[in-house]
Amino acid sequence: MKRFVNDIKKYYKFTIYSAKSELKSEIANSHLSWLWWILDPLLFMMVYSFISIIVFSKSEPYFPVFVFIGLASWQFFEKTVKVSVKLVSNNRSIVSKVYLPKYILILQKMGVQGFKMMISYILVVIMMVGYRIHVGPVILYIIPIFLTLFVITFGFSTILMHFGVFVEDLFNVVNVLLRLVFYLSGIFYNIVKRVPEPYNEVLLKVNPVALIMTDLRSVMIYETMPHRKWILLWFVIGVLLSVIGVKTIYKYENSYVKVI
Amino acid sequence: MSGIENAIEVRDLRISYKCLNKLSIKKSLFTLKKSKAEVFEAVRGVSFNVPKGQIMGIIGKNGSGKSTMLRAIAGIFAPDSGSIDLHGFSVSLLSIGVGFQKKLTGRENIILSGMLLGFSEEHIKEKMDQIIKFAELGDFIDRPVRTYSSGMYSKLAFSITAILETDIMLIDEVLSVGDAKFKKKSYNKMKKLITDKNKTVIIVSHSSETLRKLCDTILWLHDGEVKMQGSVAEVLPVYEEFMT
Repeated sequence: MKRFVNDIKKYYKFTIYSAKSELKSEIANSHLSWLWWILDPLLFMMVYSFISIIVFSKSEPYFPVFVFIGLASWQFFEKTVKVSVKLVSNNRSIVSKVYLPKYILILQKMGVQGFKMMISYILVVIMMVGYRIHVGPVILYIIPIFLTLFVITFGFSTILMHFGVFVEDLFNVVNVLLRLVFYLSGIFYNIVKRVPEPYNEVLLKVNPVALIMTDLRSVMIYETMPHRKWILLWFVIGVLLSVIGVKTIYKYENSYVKVI
Repeated sequence: MSGIENAIEVRDLRISYKCLNKLSIKKSLFTLKKSKAEVFEAVRGVSFNVPKGQIMGIIGKNGSGKSTMLRAIAGIFAPDSGSIDLHGFSVSLLSIGVGFQKKLTGRENIILSGMLLGFSEEHIKEKMDQIIKFAELGDFIDRPVRTYSSGMYSKLAFSITAILETDIMLIDEVLSVGDAKFKKKSYNKMKKLITDKNKTVIIVSHSSETLRKLCDTILWLHDGEVKMQGSVAEVLPVYEEFMT
């Protein structure tokens, strides 16, 4: 634990700087540069809105905001977890030349994805103003909900990163699983309303991402209470996963170089 | 030996590559038996000291564990047994093709590499101009590293570690970097480091000539074991005879 705190202190500047440079390099080579950070979620929102409203004619109140919240949270989780599986071998050139705690690489990716999520949420706020959505004090719950999202993402990523070093085709498995979870998470439909009883409750509660996005919508759009106990439970699970992940990484990280 | 402070103490160092082969899920499902652990010992019980301010050369044929040992000293590998004590000195490993992030510019890579070596951003920015000048990259410094030629790549790598001096420098066959002019320049830089009594350097090289000019002592590794250890005059002639 002490080592974790020390390492974070020692490397957080590196983490921030390298996340910044990655974001910069991403836009440096594209024509529309930073516009993509806005266009990307906006266009996907349109695709999903089209499918739901026109093809399936199933809508929700404030549908664009509804999709946006789901999509932004999902992409943060999905992209970070996916990239973690191959993170060590993708950074072979650094990892084999200098020591750094390997989970710093995950934090760096979380910084990059977190920044993109932040932009999406700025758009959400703009749309909420446009729709004149009424906001109550219940919106303060977004703080613990976001914390849970970060901890869960970090926990899953550390563990997948560790196994990703040794198991070559883990990436394919994770890819398929994430796609499945994507459709089960209710990004463009309301999981509670559209899934028949009693599966809807099960799907909602065993899938932390679905729970998080549903509760974010509750507190941001509909002014209803989140599932406080379940969020707390997933927060605890997230912390446990992170602790296990970081411990495993500390124990084995020096042998990663021998494999990649 | 009293009065001389050791910068590096290595005791009975052993490093082996175990059966940490990559698995695929198919393989592990269909071969129920666990594949036998193949152990390859790259370094077998090596001990040595390097006093502060000295330059030690390591020689040996390919595959004798030289690079593995350097990486262990740099903290990238965990030794399987034995100990490495650096007495808290900062250490950097310099080898051909140091790790850069190819999408980022040279400037950003300088800062990132420097930070990984444990320097503060301010310190790196102070030294930035010196590094860029030494690396002779000109305008390329603000272009992504993937556009660099291999010579530019290694020149930048060398400059970073040479200018941002750590207390202990581990150099892996790097003196053959760049064109003739840069070679001379980097050689002179190394020469300067030698006269600096605060720097401890380990050089791995196949060139007896460089080692003879630069080093104080020589360690000869053969199949992961110390074959001979001593002053340049003692070891090099024997090594040269052995290799011919």
